Amino acid sequence: MLSFDIVAQILWTSFATSSYFVLFALAFALVLKVNRAFNFAQAAMMTVAFYAAYTCVALWGLPGWVGFAAALAASIILAIVIEVFGFRTLRRRRADQIFVFIFTLIVSEVVAFLAMLVFGTWPSTIFPSLFWPVTLVGNVAVSQWDIPAVGVAVSSVVVLFGFLRFTRTGQFMVAVADNPDLAELYGIAKQRIYLATMLTAAVLVALGMFLYGTRAQVQPTTAIDLMLFAIAATIIGGIGNLWGAALTAVVLGVVQNSSVLFIPSEWQGFLLYLFLFVAIVFLPNGVKLPARRRLTRKTVAPDLVGAGSQES
Amino acid sequence: MEYVYAVVILIGLYIVLAASFNLIIGYGGLISIAHPIFYAIGAYASAILSRDYGFPIPLAMLAGTLIALVASIMVALPSLRVSGDYLLIASIGFQLGLIEVFKNASWTGGAGGFTNIPAALSASVPREVYVAIVVVVAALAALLVRAIAHGPYGRAMAAMRDDEVAFSALGRNAVAMKVGTFALGSALAGFAGAFYAHYFRFVAPEQFDILQSSVVLTMVVVGGIRSTWGPVVGAVLLQALPQAITFLNLPPAVLGPLQGLLFTGLVLVFMFVRPQGLVSAGEVWSATRKGSEHARS
Repeated sequence: MLSFDIVAQILWTSFATSSYFVLFALAFALVLKVNRAFNFAQAAMMTVAFYAAYTCVALWGLPGWVGFAAALAASIILAIVIEVFGFRTLRRRRADQIFVFIFTLIVSEVVAFLAMLVFGTWPSTIFPSLFWPVTLVGNVAVSQWDIPAVGVAVSSVVVLFGFLRFTRTGQFMVAVADNPDLAELYGIAKQRIYLATMLTAAVLVALGMFLYGTRAQVQPTTAIDLMLFAIAATIIGGIGNLWGAALTAVVLGVVQNSSVLFIPSEWQGFLLYLFLFVAIVFLPNGVKLPARRRLTRKTVAPDLVGAGSQES
Repeated sequence: MEYVYAVVILIGLYIVLAASFNLIIGYGGLISIAHPIFYAIGAYASAILSRDYGFPIPLAMLAGTLIALVASIMVALPSLRVSGDYLLIASIGFQLGLIEVFKNASWTGGAGGFTNIPAALSASVPREVYVAIVVVVAALAALLVRAIAHGPYGRAMAAMRDDEVAFSALGRNAVAMKVGTFALGSALAGFAGAFYAHYFRFVAPEQFDILQSSVVLTMVVVGGIRSTWGPVVGAVLLQALPQAITFLNLPPAVLGPLQGLLFTGLVLVFMFVRPQGLVSAGEVWSATRKGSEHARS
């Protein structure tokens, strides 16, 4: 029997756990928007971030913040390697898009196999326990993980927005995303911007994977599965629309987790692929929201034609 | 000897898979990595129809091939109408989604796999006959892809691949050609899947996951994309190498990842050091001696 409390609990937990999906979707959407690459190698960045944090915290007993720093460093280093030695080389050779995708897929698989060799295939978590102390708010259980996770996701979205809007590098990223060749003519170093984009994605990935690893179990191939979520959110949200991707990640996360109310749990994974397929068929350009009305002063253009004829 | 026959048959089936995948990504220029799922559809469809519905095996194999063909059109048509990039995403989603169905549905045997599949040939027929059939099928598949690539359809595919806008401006339907190429390659994969099911008599969802995609991709990239014999060389080499590793008697926890690293590492090396692969694609339509003599006169 579904009660309001049960529904509220599932909705809150779904909303909180969609925080890492938002970060993964933002990272993927950002690289796709600026670098114009389906960066499946993000799964590799996610894997190294998790296992760096896992090694520091679970294996070496270091504090959590050291684990996060290690995750960040590992993700950034791999992002640099992928961009400098991979994408840049393929761009220089004007490689077909299929080769770029094959490269990103293979990198994610190489890292997954390396992780299997080093860490095995057993599910792992960063902290020994997945259970966090719980506080009752009304009749909804809010764990000590939920609020910080939502806070991290919201802060990341706000910081990213500010970065893209108000910083020089962020504005250059937007320019390169719109027209890379024109941006280069204006003196913007494209290659540096591509690298900056990958670094930004690496930070988002490290945050997301640290959150995920403190909430759920991770195996070497988990990141590859999580990537599908990011891809689905990016497509449904509209390719090139970062905020659409973030919002869609929240909606998809809530819908997928809430689906346990209606369908057997073993079919929850299937839902994501169904959404992806439906999105491709019916919403290839994403969900179109009504155009925002811009609050601008109305001005009347001078009648140049009329003025010219009067003078003559 | 049974082991050697199994390896030879696997090599033959992978030659069909690699050649048909080369048709899609090499000659067709389509971005897709979900080839193994059509292999899976052919295998499961043929197995279910023959075991549970009493279809004669040749009819079940044909039905499996046709179901793979129809499924590929269902995937390709909506995504290619938008753009080629969407085919990649749709195919990955289709592959992983269908694997979830195979894992959870009772009529596919679930995660444990589908067993007791009727054998293609009766126990009294020597194994060498099946090996010979698969070798002939593999050779025919490679030659079929070569004939397509070197014929009028292949010239049209090359034009579409090189400049789709110009191709469409000449009045040709690029979407129809892409869907047709994808469907043909996927049908060949389905046919190979049906063979696999009736020889090994067991299919399971994990046999057709993303790892298999990278195996087939490796064979084409390392062997030589857009060449006739490149995928054949790739299939032989990349089926023989893992077998060599099994003789090292490593524990399974190490063997699996090591094989995976071998495949993926080879792709990375070849992509950057020798992108044309082991067998580079020659000039497809080199002038024949008769043609060049005529031109000189």
